[in-house]
Amino acid sequence: NSKYSIIFPSGCTCNLMAAWDLSVTVEDLGPDAPPVTISVASDLHVGGVIVKLVEKTQIKRDWSDHALWWDQKKMWLLRTAWTLEKYGIHADARLIFMPQHRPLKLDLPNGKTVRLRACFSDPVFQTVMGICRQLSTFPLFCLLPFYILKVCISMSRPCLYNGMPAHFAESEKMEAVYKMLSITQTPPAPEVITKQYRPASVVDKAHINGRWLDSSRCLMQQNIQENDRLWLRFKYYTFYELDPKYDVVRLTQLYEQARWAILLEDIDCTEEEMMLFGALQYHISKVSQSEPQALSTNTAMDDLESALLSLEVKMEGESSSATELCVNVRFRPKRLTLKGYKQYWFKFQDTSIAYFKSKEESIGEPIQQINLKGCEVAPDVNVAAQKFLIRLLIPAPEGMNEVFLRCENERQYAQWMAGCRLASKGKSLADSSFQSEIQSIRSFLAMQRNNSGSSSNAASSDESINTHSLVSPRYHKKYKTKQLTPRILDAYQNVAQLSLSDALMRFLQIWQALPDFGLSYVVVRFKGSRKDEVLGIAPNRLIRIDLGVGDVVKTWRYNNMKQWNVNWDIRQVAIEFEGNVNIAFSCVTADCRIVHEFIGGYIFMSTRSREKSDVLNQELFHKLTGGHEAL
Amino acid sequence: SESLHELEDTDLDALMADLVADLSATEEKLTAEIQGLKAPSPPLSSSLVSTSATSPLPPPQAGKPSKEDIEAQMKADKIKLALEKLKEAKVKKLVVKVLMNDGSSKTLMVDERQTVREVLDNLFEKTHCDANVDWSLCETNYELQLERTFEDHENMVEPLLAWTRDSENKVLFQERRDKFEVFKNPQNFYLWKKDKKTLKDMKDKDKELLIKENFCGPSIIVPDLEGVLYLKEDGKKSWKQRLFQLRASGIYYVPKGKTKSSRDLVCFVQFDNVNVYFGKDVKNRYKAPTDFCFVLKHPQIQKESQYIKYLCCDDDWTMRLWMTGIRIAKYGALLHGNYKAAEKKSVVSSAWTNRSTPSSSNQSTPSPTIRGTRCPPHPQEDFGNLPPPPPPLNEILPPPSPDPVLPPPPPSLASKPSGPHRKQPSGFPPPPLGIDNNLPPPPLPPPIDEAPPDFLPPPPPNTGIGSFPPPPPNTGFGSLPPPPPPPPPPVSSLPPPPASFGGIKKSLHPPPQDPQFLPPPPPDPVFTSAGAPPPPPPPPPAFAATPRANARPAGSVKKMPPAPPKRTTPVAGGGGGGGDLMSELMLAMKKRSDH
Repeated sequence: NSKYSIIFPSGCTCNLMAAWDLSVTVEDLGPDAPPVTISVASDLHVGGVIVKLVEKTQIKRDWSDHALWWDQKKMWLLRTAWTLEKYGIHADARLIFMPQHRPLKLDLPNGKTVRLRACFSDPVFQTVMGICRQLSTFPLFCLLPFYILKVCISMSRPCLYNGMPAHFAESEKMEAVYKMLSITQTPPAPEVITKQYRPASVVDKAHINGRWLDSSRCLMQQNIQENDRLWLRFKYYTFYELDPKYDVVRLTQLYEQARWAILLEDIDCTEEEMMLFGALQYHISKVSQSEPQALSTNTAMDDLESALLSLEVKMEGESSSATELCVNVRFRPKRLTLKGYKQYWFKFQDTSIAYFKSKEESIGEPIQQINLKGCEVAPDVNVAAQKFLIRLLIPAPEGMNEVFLRCENERQYAQWMAGCRLASKGKSLADSSFQSEIQSIRSFLAMQRNNSGSSSNAASSDESINTHSLVSPRYHKKYKTKQLTPRILDAYQNVAQLSLSDALMRFLQIWQALPDFGLSYVVVRFKGSRKDEVLGIAPNRLIRIDLGVGDVVKTWRYNNMKQWNVNWDIRQVAIEFEGNVNIAFSCVTADCRIVHEFIGGYIFMSTRSREKSDVLNQELFHKLTGGHEAL
Repeated sequence: SESLHELEDTDLDALMADLVADLSATEEKLTAEIQGLKAPSPPLSSSLVSTSATSPLPPPQAGKPSKEDIEAQMKADKIKLALEKLKEAKVKKLVVKVLMNDGSSKTLMVDERQTVREVLDNLFEKTHCDANVDWSLCETNYELQLERTFEDHENMVEPLLAWTRDSENKVLFQERRDKFEVFKNPQNFYLWKKDKKTLKDMKDKDKELLIKENFCGPSIIVPDLEGVLYLKEDGKKSWKQRLFQLRASGIYYVPKGKTKSSRDLVCFVQFDNVNVYFGKDVKNRYKAPTDFCFVLKHPQIQKESQYIKYLCCDDDWTMRLWMTGIRIAKYGALLHGNYKAAEKKSVVSSAWTNRSTPSSSNQSTPSPTIRGTRCPPHPQEDFGNLPPPPPPLNEILPPPSPDPVLPPPPPSLASKPSGPHRKQPSGFPPPPLGIDNNLPPPPLPPPIDEAPPDFLPPPPPNTGIGSFPPPPPNTGFGSLPPPPPPPPPPVSSLPPPPASFGGIKKSLHPPPQDPQFLPPPPPDPVFTSAGAPPPPPPPPPAFAATPRANARPAGSVKKMPPAPPKRTTPVAGGGGGGGDLMSELMLAMKKRSDH
């Protein structure tokens, strides 16, 4: 590339460069088309190259999204004012001219897949923000870039392709997509859960974390191709300002991610907790079917009129004492008396039950009156054997009295069970929740009936859910559905009255209260140590876990951290804490960049304020997570 | 005590008629009442107990736009009032004898809707104690030798109703450090594994952060507790060792031969139906291995029973850890709310005691008619035709007072249903003088309003300049950086603050309700001055003049989390790299502020 200079009479000089051939593959011409060759000089800027290319192809279209990708260097030539010389491009460069926005398949936390156009030239962080913007109509949502791409680890998933090429202008499609994003999925079939990959150990969990994409580099640079399938997951476990009113999509997707984490034992919990999670899932799926979209039902009554109206109604309800349940119930006062359920006439009033020898005597003094407030109510039911027992543990100064009520049939059982439950919480039968409580008990009974075998009465099965769908596979083995159902029903009584958004929030709260919540694991080798250990990265601390015993050896909190460094040459992370505590480790199951990004990301979150600032400080994020490449 | 539970059967119609008739009574009646209040306190007797708080209020009569409106409004108010009265009529009241520290006792009337907090406030007024947050009401169970501090949000009457008729249980008014210790020194509970020195030297901002993380997030985090405790087996005399774990969902233990993995844990107890008590003298009574015993039982159980669970710890501190941990799991954010309310109260009270005259109000003397510590509740028999005598005055606070920070309203207000409150000022100005308690509250010292103590700004500057401020975890306020270095002497070359400074400064005062509010980025001068970064960015002198404004914005620059790593060389605070980082951060912040 020899240079020629022309000297003008005025004394100015102008360098002329020899023209040379540059060949560029133009994607729009098809995969088999030969590269387009244009004649360029080294001082031609990238914009000029593009103009020449477009002229040469003679295709009329909108080229504005197109840019040049330099294959050998793995970089986009986005600065159109830079010359070829400045970029260091010579004739041997393999350049591809193609759109920056390209289709991608994204697996959402709820198991659905969306196809959308994502930017392949922005840093992933920004690309994800763009995706979030596309996925939700709510402006707040897009500001919360907690979605980070993760490369798909299992390709065997059935593709639930929910086509939505980015024509969002059409409102019908938009609505469909929005529905898909914002309504919780029905519980999966138990087989689906069993088939999924489940991490069996901390090390398994650590391996998953090796797959997060680098948020400071673009998709192309990380070898992501058009139409690749990626996972979209919440990576950081700090959830800012989760407002059920405005964040429907985020709340729903968060719930889905949490639900799968529980079902696949990504996070451990106790059996009692599992039953409660199961009950909440059941409730959520039930409520979201019956009240689609309407998330906030019980808004405060601000209008005096309506408040008064409801007061008046309530008053009526109170004054008319139509809130009695009278029925013959067989009754066994103490467990010690082995046989003998004796039949009495029972009356349910307010939060008490009273019993009489017979209906005729019910006007007089009862044999005994028992206040159920604060008592424990448990079912003892076997539908097949027509056994409908209510076990009551009634507190008394001397201890708890165990009492069994034996009901005749399902209907009676549902009523009395509902009454006992409400009474134990201090509510009377007049409470508005009485009917719905009865309803839910009956639907659980129906589930048990259907699960217990005979397919003859499968007619009403649409109401039922296989309770195995609500718990992790461990409990599929441990309990048959008919054993599991009452346990979930038991937990269900505490959540049955929640609205959809409250139930979702409760699910997340219990998830967040689990001891291992928010931990992302990486297998590391500490400096000076000879064995692999596990580093757990949480929103507020790092923990060191002994692989052999599984015990937490040490905890370091970020607020005591003075600085951290990555030695990119030896791939080692070094952290200094207050009080001259220094730790250093190399990472085994993930690149140290990933650990670095986790820590930096959490520190970035902690700097975010609650103010409703529209702007996400991207520079700061990259500064904290990007490493030397970004500096 | 069955009869206690029975609500009085009242003829509703008659009641309504009565109430509506009452509505016509107006100020005269109120005046009469107030005068009644001023009368010397009559001895407390059971007949007084029945005086209700249902003194009627004048119907609305302020200037109104149209007649229909008036009528509608009248009707609405009437219904409302009637309903309140209906409720009031059924309210149970209990006379409670509270034992003081010095062995004396005070007798109070407690209405069934009152919370422990309200009763405490009441006692503060009666005893003129310092109203610090540790003051508590405790229940002792004589027969079981148990003791429990009531939580401030609890209903006062309910646990007392569980006592048996001949019970020798007592209610004590005492200072209990344990009640709110977790909020004063959260590190001792949440970081108890750390060495003693670290815990002792914990900085205030780190404590605040711990509280924030564990109590102010979307979910309450219980302390991570796991250890071997001695369990007295159901109904048996032997004590068995087991490895227990505290979780938000209950106490679990590790069964024999199993691992500590969550899924193998066996649930020992969930907290819905039990309270945690301190068990006294268990070594003697039950041959316990130690005397550091906590007990879990249903509040209704008053006598020896197999349903009472006894757990022994090796030492006093472990026991307190567990008892506090259980309370956190059981009550969650309520505890934190209680603490904040108690703190506010203590500040207000100290202001009060400083200002008000010592000569005091209705010292209630225990009535001779009261036997034992509790009298049966007295059903309401008449509805507010008697002027309420002074003693109940304090007791009958309006149902749960919405905001304890507010100075207590003059008692004349307090003794009325809170509903039609708003009529009060026009209808009847609070008496300017009278009983001490009737004095309008002294103006609050401004700091209380502006910055409730729990949200005091971070501690004064103390961290080194060069060192990086610790990166605070995910919380807003707690993450406030250590304050900036002391401002250097004014540098004259710095540009004067822009005119807009005042506005910015204003916005720097976050509303106290929103602790997470982070001040907006500092005004431009900071950035310009940082263009050529001096090692620690000196805050512009303008800030020095306004320390309050100073603390935050400068901090938000300084607070930047640890520097991102550099290749091999550690990034030191003031180094070139650091400076570079600073300037870039500032640019970033500036961009943010531009939006």
